[in-house]
Amino acid sequence: MDASSSLRVAAELSELETIHRFVEQHATALRIDPSAIDDLLLVVNEIATNSILHGYRKQPGTIEVAMRPIGDAVEICVRDHAPPFDPTQALSPDLHVPLAQRPLGGMGVHLARQLIDSLTYHITPDGWNELTLVKYRIVPHLPQEEPDGSNN
Amino acid sequence: MDLTIEQAQGRVPVAILRIKGALDASNYEDVIVKARELYDAGTRHLLVDMAEMHFMSSSGLVALHSIVMLLRGQPSPDPEMGWQAFHALGHDRDTGKQPHVKLLNPQPKIRQILQITNMDEFFEIHTDLQTAVASF
Repeated sequence: MDASSSLRVAAELSELETIHRFVEQHATALRIDPSAIDDLLLVVNEIATNSILHGYRKQPGTIEVAMRPIGDAVEICVRDHAPPFDPTQALSPDLHVPLAQRPLGGMGVHLARQLIDSLTYHITPDGWNELTLVKYRIVPHLPQEEPDGSNN
Repeated sequence: MDLTIEQAQGRVPVAILRIKGALDASNYEDVIVKARELYDAGTRHLLVDMAEMHFMSSSGLVALHSIVMLLRGQPSPDPEMGWQAFHALGHDRDTGKQPHVKLLNPQPKIRQILQITNMDEFFEIHTDLQTAVASF
């Protein structure tokens, strides 16, 4: 991972704020559209939460987050060393059942699918779960400048 | 995240639960605990003021879902039991807007989360405090 844009924290819920600040700071530095930053913050939070609660099951562990720009996109990798689990294979929740028949959880991956353009999973050669998310069109739309210098 | 409570009087007494800051897996249980305290103290109508809540993950949806169950006098299911908890309870009603829990001024991004998950089908969402209190 690129040391200049990576973070390594304990797999604890209290570290969600640290992860939030890391993504926010780097996304802001990359001049990413604020709405896209919100999407990234939410999806990374969901992935890290799943890792802590369902991967490590609140046992000690480590989460790594790395992000980098790729053209007009940003790529964020979230890695953990919990037992192998591919959340991209999770079934989509049924959103049309009455509230009392809904499960309490299970919305994190659904939100990720809705807000992120690409979400892929693989196991690294050293046995880590790695989720890679990509968000395109991250640059705010700027008004085009006319040849005479005016904006329309 | 900060939680504050205010009481208001419309046609019925309404507790206003104000959530400020970020709501996620690290603190959503605090919201459920506060709602349980309110219910135990007699609250039967709850308005959740989200105007100063700038971030909400799916754990926040779990909190809202649990609050609905609490205000209906039903135990808040264990989030880790998922579907099985609800099937075991055997509920078959509960479609449409919830009459006892309503939302006030969720920020656009949080409203989007409610829409993406269809949770907005279950909550009246108000933009004016007086109107919200009077709606109970």
